[in-house]
Amino acid sequence: MSFPEFKDIKDKVRAGESLGFDDGVALFQHPNLLDLGQLANEVRERLHGQRTYFNRNMHINATNVCVASCRFCSFARLKPGDLGAYTLSLEEAWGRLRARVQAKDPITEIHIVNGLHDGLPFSYYTDLLAGLKRICPTVHLKAFTAVEIFFFHQHYGLPVAEVLTRLREAGLDSLPGGGAEIFSPRVRRKLCADKCDAAEWLDVHRTAHRMGLRSNCTMLYGHIETIEERVEHLLRLRALQDETGGFQTFIPLAFHADGNAMQRLAPPTGVDDLRTFAVSRLLLHNIPHLKAYWIMLGLKTAQTAQWFGADDLDGTVQEERIYHMAGAETPQHLGVPDIVHLIKQAGRVPVERDTLYNVLAEGSDLVSSKPFRRPLPQVTGSAS
Amino acid sequence: MSGRVRLAAVPFLSARPFTYGLEQGLGEDLFELAFDSPEGCARRVSSGEAHLALLPSANYRRIARDRGLDVRVVPHIAAVVRDDLPTALAEEHSLGALTGSVGDWRARTGLPFVSLLWCGRLGTIGPEVANLLAQSLRQGLAHLRDIATAFAEAHGGDPAHNERLLAHSLGYRLGSAELSGLGAFFDHLHLAEAPALTAPAPARIRLFEFDEAPHIAQPTGPTRVKIAMPGVDALLADAAAGKRLSPAEGIRLYESASLLDLGKAADQRRQSLHARNLVTYIIDRNVNYTNLCVTACKFCNFFRPAKSQEAYTLSREVLAQKFSETVAMGGIQILLQGGVNPQLRLDYFEDLFRWTKANFPLALHALSPEEVSFIAKQEGLPIRTVLERLVAAGLDSLPGGGAEILDDEIRHRISPLKCSADTWITVMREAHGLGLRTTATLVFGFGETPEHIAKHLERLRALQDKTAGFTAFICWPFQAEGTRLRLGDDTTALRYLRVFSLARLYLDNFPNLQVSWPTMGPTIGQVALRFGGNDFGSAMIEENVVSQAGAVFKLSAEDIERRVRAAGFVPRRRNMRYELLPVRGGAASVGREAAGNIPPQLPLAGA
Repeated sequence: MSFPEFKDIKDKVRAGESLGFDDGVALFQHPNLLDLGQLANEVRERLHGQRTYFNRNMHINATNVCVASCRFCSFARLKPGDLGAYTLSLEEAWGRLRARVQAKDPITEIHIVNGLHDGLPFSYYTDLLAGLKRICPTVHLKAFTAVEIFFFHQHYGLPVAEVLTRLREAGLDSLPGGGAEIFSPRVRRKLCADKCDAAEWLDVHRTAHRMGLRSNCTMLYGHIETIEERVEHLLRLRALQDETGGFQTFIPLAFHADGNAMQRLAPPTGVDDLRTFAVSRLLLHNIPHLKAYWIMLGLKTAQTAQWFGADDLDGTVQEERIYHMAGAETPQHLGVPDIVHLIKQAGRVPVERDTLYNVLAEGSDLVSSKPFRRPLPQVTGSAS
Repeated sequence: MSGRVRLAAVPFLSARPFTYGLEQGLGEDLFELAFDSPEGCARRVSSGEAHLALLPSANYRRIARDRGLDVRVVPHIAAVVRDDLPTALAEEHSLGALTGSVGDWRARTGLPFVSLLWCGRLGTIGPEVANLLAQSLRQGLAHLRDIATAFAEAHGGDPAHNERLLAHSLGYRLGSAELSGLGAFFDHLHLAEAPALTAPAPARIRLFEFDEAPHIAQPTGPTRVKIAMPGVDALLADAAAGKRLSPAEGIRLYESASLLDLGKAADQRRQSLHARNLVTYIIDRNVNYTNLCVTACKFCNFFRPAKSQEAYTLSREVLAQKFSETVAMGGIQILLQGGVNPQLRLDYFEDLFRWTKANFPLALHALSPEEVSFIAKQEGLPIRTVLERLVAAGLDSLPGGGAEILDDEIRHRISPLKCSADTWITVMREAHGLGLRTTATLVFGFGETPEHIAKHLERLRALQDKTAGFTAFICWPFQAEGTRLRLGDDTTALRYLRVFSLARLYLDNFPNLQVSWPTMGPTIGQVALRFGGNDFGSAMIEENVVSQAGAVFKLSAEDIERRVRAAGFVPRRRNMRYELLPVRGGAASVGREAAGNIPPQLPLAGA
């Protein structure tokens, strides 16, 4: 097999052609990190110029009780009553949002992901969404990974499309991208054997996209996967995107080892993080955004990633639990001025977006010390 | 100043972002704004009819030169042509016969072309006015589309074309590269007009002097015009090949080269200096023998004054324990630094060093220039004598701390009691003269300018030319948490990588650049290996000064080696003189050399 030359890959990228499997492997193995960065940056600037997006969001992890036993997760196999296990009552979950509303914190999105709890009725989830919408009808609910949706399908005996329809009726606006991990069956068998497989994960997103729901996608890297498995994962995401066009953002997630069953694995290094960002930007030419999730990367790497392909820093984030239980040392919240500062100091132009990447504020609107008084966009059940 | 500030501005499209905020009512109680032709604006400033005018740079030159007035330029903001000057813009600025030659200004000179600037007579405005003007511009930059549309409605033309011009053809920051461009432009006009030797000197550009730099947002657009600056590319290629940079060239690269271009040039330079792809590290221990300090630097959260309950000087027992642990863990050196403690005289250090050498197989990398110069002052002895006695007692090398920024103005502001820049250099020169090796440092984030950084590097390089005594350079942003300085705007990962790569290129006579993972974190520390670094510093960290100010990273030798390999290098242990130590246990390091460039595939835990 002749190994693709970086120069040829560069030509393909510049011509807007999609890269092949061998190209992806060659990029991951390319010795010069900054070559990769420059090429990814070219694509990033072609798509988004100098902009870096962020939003005002909060996280709700309604329960960490989980029947799955993923070896990378600090939530794994938590049962009700176990030390550290919790399930929010609906009132408690709604209270989190009420507190934000009362604090006049103009959040535009709630990100909800949970453990796979086998003791809750399906109405818990629909009531959760409906209640949040009652408190703040304009807030965008980005909720339940494909893994959860698939679990609902199995556990409650409803077709995936029916699960999604009922959730959408209750207020669901889009799906987060978690739970993809690495699609390779070899890795899934070892890491998360009892979780839905690649085809099932992709099918949930396909179904959602067909219903007009947008979603994100992820890859958990830096554990036992090979370079080839990373490339294959990215190409499967790209193939679904070719089919549906429903993915908005790809988020590479670095594996964190503390407090879970894989403590002996060393975390991915900064060079690997930046390389993964750059290669993802180059392979996923049809997915518009690439997010540097600062909670997971740390602020310094998230800042640097903006020159290695990333154009989004996620949001202000309230109450992140999953990564912090696995040892993330980042703060749990950033104020808008913090994020704006972070982006500007990276030499980029900060833009506040909503979940669907409508621009809400930029330029001098962002630096205003007054609370935002713009009307929030009316979000209906089906996203365009 | 009593009454209102009278402003005049040219009515050009390119002026509108500057006047936008004012036109929207910003500072309306303070300002009166009139539009006039370039000549009209110039006349208003000369006659005092206007306090400030926004006018073409050529008109500024004429007032500054011809009228004998002290006319100053408002700092930080100006309309700057980013790429080749569009003809329409040149015409708009009444450059007349010059249009042709200015059209390819950027291509010929590699410098930005400043087209419009705010200027006025000295003493007419204060910083609050400058800040309002910057604010007006910021508002304008956020509304380029509105400006483009309104201008097209009033004057005809295509709004989209206007917007492209405002967003892509123009920049709005007056930095040192722009000032160089302005100076070059004036020289150019001067030569064109008065080739005779008797011609008066060209006009000098003088700025209003204010303390604070207002922040200027850059406009955003769907695509970015890649600024082709052959000057910068050529400079980078030369520097990567080992050609010496001048201070002005260093500043230019620091300000104008893109992060990754700068990094790649530094990476290339590193590669030619360290062809074997090795990255070194040392196992040593940083022991702070005392925290009592009379220097009281504002950025330091470690020191305690003499009367503090928390002031300490480590006892021999504690030191013995730390030193034994160091030896047991494979350490070969103690980095010994303290506060500047007047209770500890020269004989204390002589005894301590002799005792250390008699009892432990450890090198002493001890006492920064600040401590040495303080001992000399206290003993009334020449620096050289103090160093000779310390060497006789066992001193092996000096750490390069306390350099901060080698500029007395900045030193005075942040650490007024610390030794001067000259003294720091003198101690190092004397030490090198005695055959000691030392490191050199730079701490940024104190509101220094690129010029300060270039000056600092220049001083280090000049001394190194004479003595060749520096082994390595290390830089980091000051750690602000809990200290009395506010966190500066620029102590970030990206600034670190910029300063670091620039240093790799500038310090052409420094063999080694050490990454500062204790301050930047192991992640960015590792990334910096790809921005010119060839040394990962120390594995066994006990560094009270930085950790008191918020940095809490710890790395084992194993972890360092893993990170070095994952960055594509081969790790090797070294001593303070950067001599490689024998590879332990045979093939541990060498055997994985081949896998250097590939992110390692990690074994499954428990599998």
